[in-house]
Amino acid sequence: MISFELSEQQQQIKEMTHWFAENEIRPIALEADKMEKVPDDWLDKVNKMGIHLNTSSFSGGASSSSSGKKAKKEREGNRMGVLATEEMAWGDPAVTLSLPGAGLGGPPVESSGTPEQKERFLSIFQNDQPRWGAYALTEPDAGSDASAIHTTATKVDGGYILNGQKIFITNGARASWVVVFATVDSSLGRAGQRAFVVEKGTAGFSCSRLAQKMGLRANETAELVFEDCFVPQENLLGGEGLYEMNGSKPSGFQVAMKTFDSTRPIVAAMAIGIARAAYEYTLDIVKHDYPKQGDFFRMASEILGEAEQNIAAARLLTWEAAWKADLGMANAKEAAMCKAYAGKTGLDVCAKCLELLGPTGLDGQLVEKLYRDVKVFDIFEGTNEIQHLVIARRQYAPYNIRV
Amino acid sequence: MISFQPTEDEISFIKVAKDFAKNRIRPLARACEKRRAVDKTLDDEAAELGFLSLELPESWEGLELSSITQVQLMQALSYGDLDIIQGFQGAGDAASLFRLLPDIPILKNNKEDLAGGATTALLDLGNGVEGPGKQLNIHRRQDGYILQGLSHPVRMAPSADYAMIAGDDSHGKSVILWLDNSADWTIQQGDYRLGLLASGLGRLSFERVKVPATHVLAEGEAADDILREARTRIRILQAAKETGLMEAALDYATEYTAERKAFGREIAAFQGVSFRVASMALETRIANHLVLEAAAGMDNQEPAAERLSLRAMHRAHRSLRYVTDSAVQLLGGHGFVQDFPAEKWMRDAQAQVMLYGRENDLLARSGDHLIAGEKEVTVT
Repeated sequence: MISFELSEQQQQIKEMTHWFAENEIRPIALEADKMEKVPDDWLDKVNKMGIHLNTSSFSGGASSSSSGKKAKKEREGNRMGVLATEEMAWGDPAVTLSLPGAGLGGPPVESSGTPEQKERFLSIFQNDQPRWGAYALTEPDAGSDASAIHTTATKVDGGYILNGQKIFITNGARASWVVVFATVDSSLGRAGQRAFVVEKGTAGFSCSRLAQKMGLRANETAELVFEDCFVPQENLLGGEGLYEMNGSKPSGFQVAMKTFDSTRPIVAAMAIGIARAAYEYTLDIVKHDYPKQGDFFRMASEILGEAEQNIAAARLLTWEAAWKADLGMANAKEAAMCKAYAGKTGLDVCAKCLELLGPTGLDGQLVEKLYRDVKVFDIFEGTNEIQHLVIARRQYAPYNIRV
Repeated sequence: MISFQPTEDEISFIKVAKDFAKNRIRPLARACEKRRAVDKTLDDEAAELGFLSLELPESWEGLELSSITQVQLMQALSYGDLDIIQGFQGAGDAASLFRLLPDIPILKNNKEDLAGGATTALLDLGNGVEGPGKQLNIHRRQDGYILQGLSHPVRMAPSADYAMIAGDDSHGKSVILWLDNSADWTIQQGDYRLGLLASGLGRLSFERVKVPATHVLAEGEAADDILREARTRIRILQAAKETGLMEAALDYATEYTAERKAFGREIAAFQGVSFRVASMALETRIANHLVLEAAAGMDNQEPAAERLSLRAMHRAHRSLRYVTDSAVQLLGGHGFVQDFPAEKWMRDAQAQVMLYGRENDLLARSGDHLIAGEKEVTVT
């Protein structure tokens, strides 16, 4: 039955994460932006509270613990994930992205790692000290075209030697491990790609610099360098078996693409949370400071009406993508739709809210920060244009047209 | 639990509706437009299948379906042709008022006729449809009301057996009136060329028509409450019809661009084309979801249901114009000629959005709710 009511579990996680966002994240948002850093003692505190950004856990859901005899409970991990993420990003997206946990590195390990690798890499996120995972695909000359990566992986005895550079890597410098995509033979194109888990401290693996950004300043964005970096065999994600099993199929590339189907709804949910934060902040000011009739009131009504509508539209697209993932249905089109729309509408909502705030919005107010933060949500995890490409490919799939 | 999965019953009923839309409605679209009326046989078939009594109350032998089910059916039917759907005889938009007022004696006494195929024209003078040039007035008298003037264009005007008039009277109070004698009005035929030509567009003209107290369905706050809910229901159902047309235009444009070749390849292979199709798909999906959420809100009697309906209608209007215009654009010159359906869909779409509320007004009213808080917004 079509329904937009939250289950008890969904409601609980929404309320819990909202409480955390309101009381722990939002109060440090502006200061963290100014410092361009989330305070270490704060990270230590929330880590001890067990708060992690672990997107891979969202793909788990309730059914994994169900016994065969019991009626299978519907998975809702992805829906819970987008609900929770929207609330956290509402508090502050840069702080949220800085939370300890596997982050965007989680989904590829979860979906393609061997049982041993899952245990080894995903079990490190404990309460004793904050740890991070990261995901490194983008290179200076390969962003949207992920199949064109240049980082090489040369097979040697006992493992691979990596050489290359990665950019725009969220939490890349502080991460305990990074999922790195590299090619064993660039002439094979996608089929030559492999995913490796490179651990911090590995010889030849370093962070060359941290990027200075328009927004999300409190969150670390790293450039990583691999110079004759030896990665042992057991860190090849999925093991050799995964690639032998798939023959000539582009499985390394598939690992990267498959990741997007679960992370794009999460990223969309973040953009929605940001847009909602800007909208609610502005609505409050309009309620208190604006005249109750006349031209300004009319303008505010139309702008806020449209902002709220667009937020709702983005949320429903995101929920649909997450719902499909929970049911095990293919969701690449829906994941692209929600990401494309949420990323674009996030910026639009923030800009319109700034219009309502006028010049005073420039001076130490949350919305201008959110405006700077949200722009990248229309870029990373696939630009808006790439999302359109994905949607179009799915739209034309019945006609065998390759867009 | 958040879910986008229709029930088994809905899936079955939607399949019947979609088959009817594709196999019966679509092929007759041009002919009905040319005749400026829906084919009688088609009308009878729709009634036989139950599609004309979805909103009517069970006590009137209607199906009294939930909004969430109805919107899915309306979408499926309108996939065939919106013009024909809007031209089906029967209760039309007034069905929502019959559903809310099933026991009013003057209606109840005629329920067999009203639910059995008689046509009712609804003249809603409020709801943001009437503009500054309003020409029909409701004058309050001690023993009833007097109607004077000319209505705005409404659907099913020439064939109307009954008329329901809703709006503010000369004292600014809401009122809903019932006319059961078609001799009370005359039809001004007009000159309609844009779209929805089979839907029976016309104006009703009233020359000092007395409406006795027995024919007053509701007044004052009671009328406000009924109109608020009825308009909410109507908006949601009309927005659902718009999503059906959007889906039709999207599918047609996708298929056309997948087959049409230029510069030696299918034009879908060019991103200028395929990205526009992707945007059409996105807008269609968004409008659909907002309609579904509004319908769910209506069924659950949520306080925000009225705002959700304003929101859904606004987005449906905007998306409908974009998607149908895009279909014409992607067909190029073929989109402009009547050998292909795209030009008709674009015309019908524009006529539809003109009949059911101005976009900026819908948006501003939705915003009013947000600023004031749901309960503080007065009925409009």
